[in-house]
Amino acid sequence: MQFSSFDADYVRNLCAGDRRTQEHFVGYFTELLQLKLRSRLQSPHAIEDVRQETFARVLSVLRKDGGLRQPERLGAFVNTVCTHVLFEHYRSKTGGESLDVEGRPELPDKSASALDIVAARQIKDKVREILLGLAPRDSSLLKAVFLDERDRDEVCREFGVDRDYLRVLLHRAKQEFKTEYEKRVGNQMAMGANA
Amino acid sequence: MDHSEAVQQMAAERYLLDELTPDAREAFEEHFFDCRECALDLRTGAAFVEEAKAQLPGLAGARPAPVPSRSLKIKREWWLSWLQPAFAAPAFAMLLLVVGYQNMITLPALRDSANQPRLLPWAPLHGATRGAPLAIAADRRHGVALPVDLPPQPSTGTYASYSFDLYDPQGKLAWTGAAAAAADDAGDAQRLSLVIPGAMLRNGAYTVAVTGIAAHGERTGIDRYVFNLHLTD
Repeated sequence: MQFSSFDADYVRNLCAGDRRTQEHFVGYFTELLQLKLRSRLQSPHAIEDVRQETFARVLSVLRKDGGLRQPERLGAFVNTVCTHVLFEHYRSKTGGESLDVEGRPELPDKSASALDIVAARQIKDKVREILLGLAPRDSSLLKAVFLDERDRDEVCREFGVDRDYLRVLLHRAKQEFKTEYEKRVGNQMAMGANA
Repeated sequence: MDHSEAVQQMAAERYLLDELTPDAREAFEEHFFDCRECALDLRTGAAFVEEAKAQLPGLAGARPAPVPSRSLKIKREWWLSWLQPAFAAPAFAMLLLVVGYQNMITLPALRDSANQPRLLPWAPLHGATRGAPLAIAADRRHGVALPVDLPPQPSTGTYASYSFDLYDPQGKLAWTGAAAAAADDAGDAQRLSLVIPGAMLRNGAYTVAVTGIAAHGERTGIDRYVFNLHLTD
């Protein structure tokens, strides 16, 4: 079964502990949760805590009878749970207190495989190729924004460009990278047969 | 936020650039958690940015220097060579000299010749039939003024106008002009003055042919004046 969208079968397999479904679930939502959380939490430990708590609560709800009435909205449900966990994290007095509770179902940790290492190498090469293909001004612009983390408006003024230029620059680089990325990593997000 | 809005607004790029308002950010998050395409788009962008951050610092030394194509290089060199100080400075100096000469010498002289009275050597012409060609001395600065005596008309109104043709020492027609016939009674000679500017003058024999033109267009040769011009400068 190739993953195309979340549905009742997917949720059923996830709740049943099917390893491949669980690996897919973790792999698919980990990155999205990290993107959501990194702009809100400074500590990598806090990000990891919130991520794991989110997965745990989602599975808990899914395993209840009538837990998720709309399986196709699994993604939105994960986002909502993450938002609640995040608010609890903000409200907690220490902020760094682990939310881990014993007895919760553990999800498989996705370790890097040999294929992952090869894919990472190929992705690195592709990014390098794209960066070398940029005009020096454009690569300096990206460096100032993403590496030096300078104020966007100040950088745009300095380089004589507007925000649209910056957006389009990123868009084009992303589009050029997308084919390679999808080839190397996108398949990992698709479930194989007999899932 | 639906998918078309996310694409139209370049939401993934704005998200990565941290340009979304808090509400827009939450709306996009709610969308991409449910939308496989936007999720992939965002993950792609994030992966690119993360890897780019790692590689950008070391990239400056690795970037190959752009090598323009040979023809472009030659074209650039050709253009650039004229802008080098070794060429540009003498070229500008020459330009200044030319402009200065024109403004200080040529143009004032032209203005004077157009606006001021002038004294010109005067040499009355005789008809070729009257003897040897007339010797006339002149210089290029002043030119020469040649009075031409037109014979009286056979009868009043014979000629409506006269045509004057000037031939240079090579026999080429150097100039042609016309003058209306005097409205006086026949019997009076008409005198005109042919002024030849110095720039036109060459050493040698010039010919001035005078033709009478009747009102109906009939042309009649009247006289030919031949003179040997000798330039004194």
